[in-house]
Amino acid sequence: MVSTTVQARKRQEVPDVPAGRRRFRLDLRTTPARLRLLLAVLVLLSVAWGALAAFAANTYASAASGVVTTREPLSFGALQIYSRLSDANDAATTAFLTGGLEPAAVRQRYLADISAAETGLEGVTARGGAGQGSTATDLRALAVDIPVYSGEIETARADNRLGLPLGAAYLREASALMRDTLLPAAQGLYDAENASLGATSARATGLPLIAVTVVIGIGIGCCLYLVSRWLSRRTNRVFNYGLLAAGLAIVVSLAWLAFAYANARSNLLTAQARGSTPVGALARVDIAAQQAHADESLTLIDNGGDDSYQSDYVSLQRALGPGQETLLTAAQAAAAGSPAASAVTAMVADARGWFNAHASLRKLDDSGNHADAVQSALGNLPGDAATWFGQFSAHLATGMTADQAAFDSSAQVGSSAFAGLEPGVIAVALVMAVACAWGLGRRLREYR
Amino acid sequence: MRHAAVALAAVAALVTAAGCATAPGPGAGSAAPAPVARSAVAVRAVSRVSARAGAATACNPKAASLAPDGAPRVTTGSFMAKIRARGYLIAGVDQSTYHFGYLNPLDGQIEGFDIDMIRAVAKAIFGNPDKVQYKVISDAQRIPDTMNGSVDIVADTMTITCDRLTQVDFSSVYFDAHQRILVLNNSAVNSLPALAGQKVCVTQGSDSGSNLLRLSGARKPVLVSVPYWTDCLVLLQQDQVAAISTDDSILDGLKAQDPFTKVVGPELTDEPYGLAISKQHQDFVRFVNGVLAKERSDGGWAASYARWVGAPVPQPPPAQYAS
Repeated sequence: MVSTTVQARKRQEVPDVPAGRRRFRLDLRTTPARLRLLLAVLVLLSVAWGALAAFAANTYASAASGVVTTREPLSFGALQIYSRLSDANDAATTAFLTGGLEPAAVRQRYLADISAAETGLEGVTARGGAGQGSTATDLRALAVDIPVYSGEIETARADNRLGLPLGAAYLREASALMRDTLLPAAQGLYDAENASLGATSARATGLPLIAVTVVIGIGIGCCLYLVSRWLSRRTNRVFNYGLLAAGLAIVVSLAWLAFAYANARSNLLTAQARGSTPVGALARVDIAAQQAHADESLTLIDNGGDDSYQSDYVSLQRALGPGQETLLTAAQAAAAGSPAASAVTAMVADARGWFNAHASLRKLDDSGNHADAVQSALGNLPGDAATWFGQFSAHLATGMTADQAAFDSSAQVGSSAFAGLEPGVIAVALVMAVACAWGLGRRLREYR
Repeated sequence: MRHAAVALAAVAALVTAAGCATAPGPGAGSAAPAPVARSAVAVRAVSRVSARAGAATACNPKAASLAPDGAPRVTTGSFMAKIRARGYLIAGVDQSTYHFGYLNPLDGQIEGFDIDMIRAVAKAIFGNPDKVQYKVISDAQRIPDTMNGSVDIVADTMTITCDRLTQVDFSSVYFDAHQRILVLNNSAVNSLPALAGQKVCVTQGSDSGSNLLRLSGARKPVLVSVPYWTDCLVLLQQDQVAAISTDDSILDGLKAQDPFTKVVGPELTDEPYGLAISKQHQDFVRFVNGVLAKERSDGGWAASYARWVGAPVPQPPPAQYAS
């Protein structure tokens, strides 16, 4: 069938073809010429297949390894910056709330938080560069204002040690810088990194490229089959071992590609479902809860000056829930079935306990028992707001660590599914090319 | 005779209040001081004249309070009796004005000259100056909190003005302050006109800002408002404002926290401080004035002044009453 159409087309075209090409075309009437042409086409197809398969393997492998080695650490690093900064502010305000000399443990917590936030910032910049657009702005804001913030905290501390009320004013200033500039920048950074993580994960698991590759691979396989059928009719040999080997090779590379892809996809999707999605939901809970906790302290420090901190607390409590479309319920849903599930359930119960303890703390403060309210905010007795919040934070941290580990292990497995795939498909394509050349070459030699 | 005097006093009080309501502008702590009446009798005379003339006069913030009924006594059914039954006095104070009302970071206590006045009132009610619940309020909250009863009394470097007298009652004057200007030591500013177009820090709800705008004429400074006076000092230390302008009492407290600052320029205004009390508790106003009278005479006022403001200790502001 192939030969008849070629001949038909050739007959029509002959008059217009220049002399040199006419000879080539005329040669096609003979079987050796046709064999030569087929040999060239099949070798080219093999090489093209190698290139396409290698491109697909490379695209998936680099996206998967990008998830594991770059995007995920960046996203986690950005989250760390946020969480350590927020905790630092919480520690600094708590130190003031205690009155008199600050407890050494609180001071240590503050210092550790600030140095962790700065190290995290260095890490994110080293891994991800200066960034673009809003990420660049956020990174710059953090780099510039973390030292300003800690400078204000130290001034507040120095004034406080001298017994000057000016210290409290510097604390207010520092806290405002944290809330209005640093935390929004850290949150922006985290959101951007998390979005990149999602995009890279989507690329590592995306269907179109693998579908196109497999369709083209099957098409090339069909070509091989048609050529070998034509050849067996021409030569009365049932098998051409070269073409058979080439056919086997393309089946092997197709199967390898499909298997690696399916394996990586399922692992990366598991990493998402049981890892990064619940961690992201827990991170949102963490961010809101830490802000609410700082509000609790600042309301007590401000001592009735204005109720903006308390109204902020109330709106954050509403956002946390639990209830429909709240952060806690979303986290619980996201963590269901993940290693963090039990810790998250406990965390939701702690949150309720903390909200209740906070309500009684406010009642104490509003009825003039400021000292008792402060005791509840700082103490470690059962029922104290501080005790509940401590438990809440511990369960939150346990949940995040567990799901982070689940992400890491699944994503590692997913990424390693692509190991050796790219050189493998290139080698197999070369085998294909050689096998085609060898198989058709042997037939060709029979005409000499 | 006595009945006639009480009736006269009531008329005078009404007239004074009406005067304040209709003519809030000129008298409010102005540079040109309102006619200072030396005694309660003189005030009554002025009021009677104006009442006869049928015209509203400028009120006198320094003599707008109610005279005490002798020594302070907690009578049955009075507001003081209610406070005593509650067990503590609720006082609205500041926690950031050094030497007047501030939270001492060293011991976590609220202290200062204003606080001493409150302690004297608590002592008169309970026999114990510690029976006070301090509610820290910002300048802007002083009047609303007094009016809605969330505090019994406000002691927060609060100037008696005719505007405010329409909303709350004040005790007799317990401190005489004057608005001035605080700048950094290396500043060339030495008067209000030199601040034209420059940023000057004031607190929200204080009358210092409106005084500046009124007194500076066409050469107005740019006002920057913050919640507390210490916030102003932070801005001054960070070179975000050129000056802070408010009562010298507050400025001295800021200067004490930063020796690289100085108070400059003439006294811009007259700021008589009073303790603010709801208009519903006139018995309490008289009671507090009794306490202040005792503080003036027994050396309590002078001792507080010496402790918080320093030597030399002047004579306490004389007590003047509208009735």
